[in-house]
Amino acid sequence: MMKTIIVGIGNPILGDDGVGIHVLRELVPKTLDQDIVLEEAFTGGMNLLDIMIGYDRAILIDAVENPDDPPGKTYTMDALQMTSSHSTNPHDTSFPEALEVARKMGQKNIPSEIHLVGINIRAQYDFKDRLSDEVFRAVPEAVKKVMDLL
Amino acid sequence: MKSIVIDPITRLEGHGKINIFLNDKGNVENAYLQIPELRGFEKFCQGRRAEDMPQITSRICGVCPVAHHFGAAKALDSAFKVDPPPVAKKLRELMYSGYIIYDHILHFYFLGGPDFVVGPDAPPGKRNILGVIEKAGIEIGKEVIKHRAYGQKITAILGGKATHPVSGLPGGVSKGLNAEEVKDIEKMSRSCVEFAKFSLQLFEDIVLKNKAYVDLILSDPYQLKTYNMGLVDDKNKLNFYDGGIRVTGPDDKELMKFDVKDYQQEIAERVEKWSYMKFPYLKRVGWKGFVDGQDSGFYRVGPLGRVNAADGMATPLAQKEYDRMFETLGGRPIHSTLAFHWARLVELLYVSERALELTLEEDITSDKIRNPVGEPGEGFGVIEAARGTLIHHYDVDEQGLIKKANLIVATTNNAGPITMSVRDAAKGLIKNNVVNDGLLNMVEMAFRAYDPCFGCATHCMPGTMPLIANIYDKNERLIRSIKRN
Repeated sequence: MMKTIIVGIGNPILGDDGVGIHVLRELVPKTLDQDIVLEEAFTGGMNLLDIMIGYDRAILIDAVENPDDPPGKTYTMDALQMTSSHSTNPHDTSFPEALEVARKMGQKNIPSEIHLVGINIRAQYDFKDRLSDEVFRAVPEAVKKVMDLL
Repeated sequence: MKSIVIDPITRLEGHGKINIFLNDKGNVENAYLQIPELRGFEKFCQGRRAEDMPQITSRICGVCPVAHHFGAAKALDSAFKVDPPPVAKKLRELMYSGYIIYDHILHFYFLGGPDFVVGPDAPPGKRNILGVIEKAGIEIGKEVIKHRAYGQKITAILGGKATHPVSGLPGGVSKGLNAEEVKDIEKMSRSCVEFAKFSLQLFEDIVLKNKAYVDLILSDPYQLKTYNMGLVDDKNKLNFYDGGIRVTGPDDKELMKFDVKDYQQEIAERVEKWSYMKFPYLKRVGWKGFVDGQDSGFYRVGPLGRVNAADGMATPLAQKEYDRMFETLGGRPIHSTLAFHWARLVELLYVSERALELTLEEDITSDKIRNPVGEPGEGFGVIEAARGTLIHHYDVDEQGLIKKANLIVATTNNAGPITMSVRDAAKGLIKNNVVNDGLLNMVEMAFRAYDPCFGCATHCMPGTMPLIANIYDKNERLIRSIKRN
């Protein structure tokens, strides 16, 4: 059995940015019978990688910004194939860069599978702890996408 | 008027945008860094329980959670009229040292340092940690990763989690240390002292022994004569966790040393219609527009602001490096924006030494870590975030709920100087409509030195991070676009 961690990424007080956390919380009762670690993370880059070390498989759930698609659209991606991404904040390296650094340093136990379940949002800068209607409605679909990966 | 827009800024996300306006002769008239600030924080906090503030505010920013966490805890100490026991203050400071260690290492090796270590002319794809590792070697890369992780671990041992600390409470902390944990932290701190010394040596070898770099540090576009601000102890030595807010002038004389509760009497915030950001300035000196000098109320915070505002460092090795830095750069105060990087490394040495000192304190394992709180009221907290002075101010009602919350974050304090540094760097590189190809790099270097904090969000979508300079003619028609990924 693959040792698996699911990481909900986002800022829980920045509206739709925190959708990854909302999805993760929905997964708690659904994964009780499985040997899976669930983690909330308001972080990226090196810190995000630190969380995943030692697992065979990681599933990241995060807000994404794709202006060509409507908010609430969900995606499944292979995070190991990503060449660039935004990091959590201006003071951290991007996740692919962190991954490359870790590999170069001979870091062992990097997950061999890293998936990203993304939920499309529009960037926002207002503090609130609730999701917009479109993104809220996408939560069950994102949950299903995660469950399909297990 | 022509304008050049650089958007977004590589390695500094949050959708910062630089607008450069040229005059009819094709020279830089003005340049602005626009940052969409996170909004509505005060409203978000209203009616929430005061004791939740250390957790709520630590979510404002993914990199400064510890600074906000203790800025909030200190404001709550003040609001609930309680002085934490001595050991609680030491534990907070120790945890705080861990945060500064990992933050400063991250900035020097991953973000700001690559400009120097790899070189300002190196392609952007190389000016990152991977480029540093390529140049300095894998073994050094491993040390960087190890010591950044030590900073995180020190923070996590004391705070629960490095990114979501939960230890700060009004009146103290929720968790003490046992002897084994102290030993562990002591070992890591010792190692960090050695690593900080190594980092300063690396800076010496790669930067200071290279005349071109030293000339760059001392070159005109990177000089800014502002006031300096930072927390100092009762001997005017630099302190991250506590003390008075000291302000010194471009002439190095002390303008004032004030308590955080008086911040509204001393600092005003100017609103400009082109930016969401407010521009703080010193009321005693006054607003003179975007100019530097003794008569302009702008001040700088962060590593350079702190070393200038203090009379020295409280630990021996850092003091030696501090003296050497001022000596090398021509005395006090240092006006060179690029010296932020050097000051950051001197601070890395100081916090490592300080962490070690704290682990050796006899009472560090004491369980007297919290005092009972009094009746709620108004509270003020100040702390030195990695990137500068951070102020939290709350008004708490009799039920312990937040009535009002106001924050001045480090990047806001630096907003005016960052704007001027960007403008001056651009001025040196755009002459008579000719845009020097190094423009993007040099302008980036000007603001990256401050390690500015933009609105932090966590989007992870694959995509490129281009840097674009759009050049418009005086009728605002796009005539040239320089783009790189």
